[in-house]
Amino acid sequence: MSNLAIQINDLTKSYGKVEALKGVSLSIPEGCFYGLLGPNGAGKTTTINILTGLVLREGGTTSVFGRDTIHDYRFTRSKIGIAAQELSVDWFFSIEKLLYFHAGYYGMTKKVAKPRVDYLLDLLGLSEKKESRLRQLSGGMKRRFQLAKALVHDPDIIILDEPTAGVDVGLRHELWDLLRNLHKQGKTILLTTHYIEEAELLCKEVAIIDQGIVIAQDSPKALIQQLGKAGISINLSGSPDHLQDQLSKFTFTQKDNRLHFTVKDPDKAMPEIISTLVKNGCHIHSIETEKSSLEDVFLSLTGKGINE
Amino acid sequence: MSNVNWIGFWTLTGREVGRFFAVWRQTIIPGLISSTLYILIFGFTLQQRISEINGVSYTLFIIPGLIMMNALTNATSNTASSMLQMKLLQQIPDLLVAPLSSAEISLAYIIGGTIRGFVNGILIMILGVFLIDMPVLHPFLTIGFILMVSWAFSAMGLMIGQLADSWDMLAMMQNFILTPLSFLGGIFYSISMLPEWAQMISHFNPIYYMINGMRFSILGIADSDPWLSFGMGLFLTFLFTFLAMAFMQSGKKIKV
Repeated sequence: MSNLAIQINDLTKSYGKVEALKGVSLSIPEGCFYGLLGPNGAGKTTTINILTGLVLREGGTTSVFGRDTIHDYRFTRSKIGIAAQELSVDWFFSIEKLLYFHAGYYGMTKKVAKPRVDYLLDLLGLSEKKESRLRQLSGGMKRRFQLAKALVHDPDIIILDEPTAGVDVGLRHELWDLLRNLHKQGKTILLTTHYIEEAELLCKEVAIIDQGIVIAQDSPKALIQQLGKAGISINLSGSPDHLQDQLSKFTFTQKDNRLHFTVKDPDKAMPEIISTLVKNGCHIHSIETEKSSLEDVFLSLTGKGINE
Repeated sequence: MSNVNWIGFWTLTGREVGRFFAVWRQTIIPGLISSTLYILIFGFTLQQRISEINGVSYTLFIIPGLIMMNALTNATSNTASSMLQMKLLQQIPDLLVAPLSSAEISLAYIIGGTIRGFVNGILIMILGVFLIDMPVLHPFLTIGFILMVSWAFSAMGLMIGQLADSWDMLAMMQNFILTPLSFLGGIFYSISMLPEWAQMISHFNPIYYMINGMRFSILGIADSDPWLSFGMGLFLTFLFTFLAMAFMQSGKKIKV
């Protein structure tokens, strides 16, 4: 079993009378690309902020590489790089200087930080703007800078709170590629996102959190298989007769020569359906599949869309 | 990482110092201009109508108070405005997620404010030396006292900046508390010129002791006992430093 990069046990937090977290537990293995999904106010950002020290935890434990995030905060914070959802503003210094400051907070001298700062400015397409102030950058560039800041001390764990919120499609794909590369380098990535397809595409594991509770935790594929439903529609040449018995193990409806099956795993069910139909002398005219997505799973678990 | 994140601490200190030097027209020049005006207008014009106070000319008399006022208002406003700005512009999370202790963050801020207060105070002193040939009787005491008072008020500013929610609150603190207390602390007069009841009230004004401590260091004259002034300076330094660090540790208004 691999080591756990992040472990959260029974985490609770209230803001006044509002219980934001009601016992959240998460185990994120080292090197995992992990997604935290939930509607607004579900408790995602609170969870992240407790891990990084921005929010005071009330009950439960939070540890990074086995060490407590409060008692061993110097160690745990040095292992984490966070790109927060809110973009910060600075009036006084160039973005290059701000990266040096940030590296300094993590104990890097200017000499040590220089190659890293140069590399990140180049990687994120900010080299030409390195003398600019933050307010002079476009929204997309501010987002890139946010990421550069998170990566400047080369952390083992990268936490991204809505990293692609408000960015155009081109930049979103660039950021996805970058995150994939970081994951390939062995980094543990914890991502919260409003774009479920983003989590489905990138994450090896996801947790769905709603009203301060984790309601599901697994790989996107497993969640879809367990909780999602897919549809297979088959059009036959001519009207099929006497198929009810042969196909009794499947849930399906029939309208004239069109059969519609509701299955959990279409990849597994399709060959069996086709072979049964062919054995019974049916001629298949066309097949359409409607795959369930993580969004459907999310919807069925929470009873609402992620943006509601 | 050792018990102290020295690089992080000095980086933040450097940032704080760099921040006010980057806008020196706002943070250094105004105090110099207003003090020059005070010396020219109040000093030179009133000097002809006011006899010497405690054996020194009026212009000379007001300069230690101007040094103190400049040092402590600049020290206060550096930390207060920097902390509030970091809160409002979402920069404070950058510090709170870094492996910096609350003591390191507090002290870095306080040193930044102290340096601004000190620079502003020393510049007025140099102005006095060059403009009216002001003698500095105890130069080391003068430098030490400016540093100590700048530190104390820088710590107070940090606390205020952390607790403030808006620029309005900072302006209120500056306009309704700090400036009146500075003026009433005897920059422009000796409290012996006041009626007895006003003299008594002045003793409850901590800035009165700061101004008179400075006046003693530079001119060798003071309304209050110099030891009491230095003792008060030391007391405020410890009190405000302790409170500023305790507030930072508590995370009040910066962590939820």
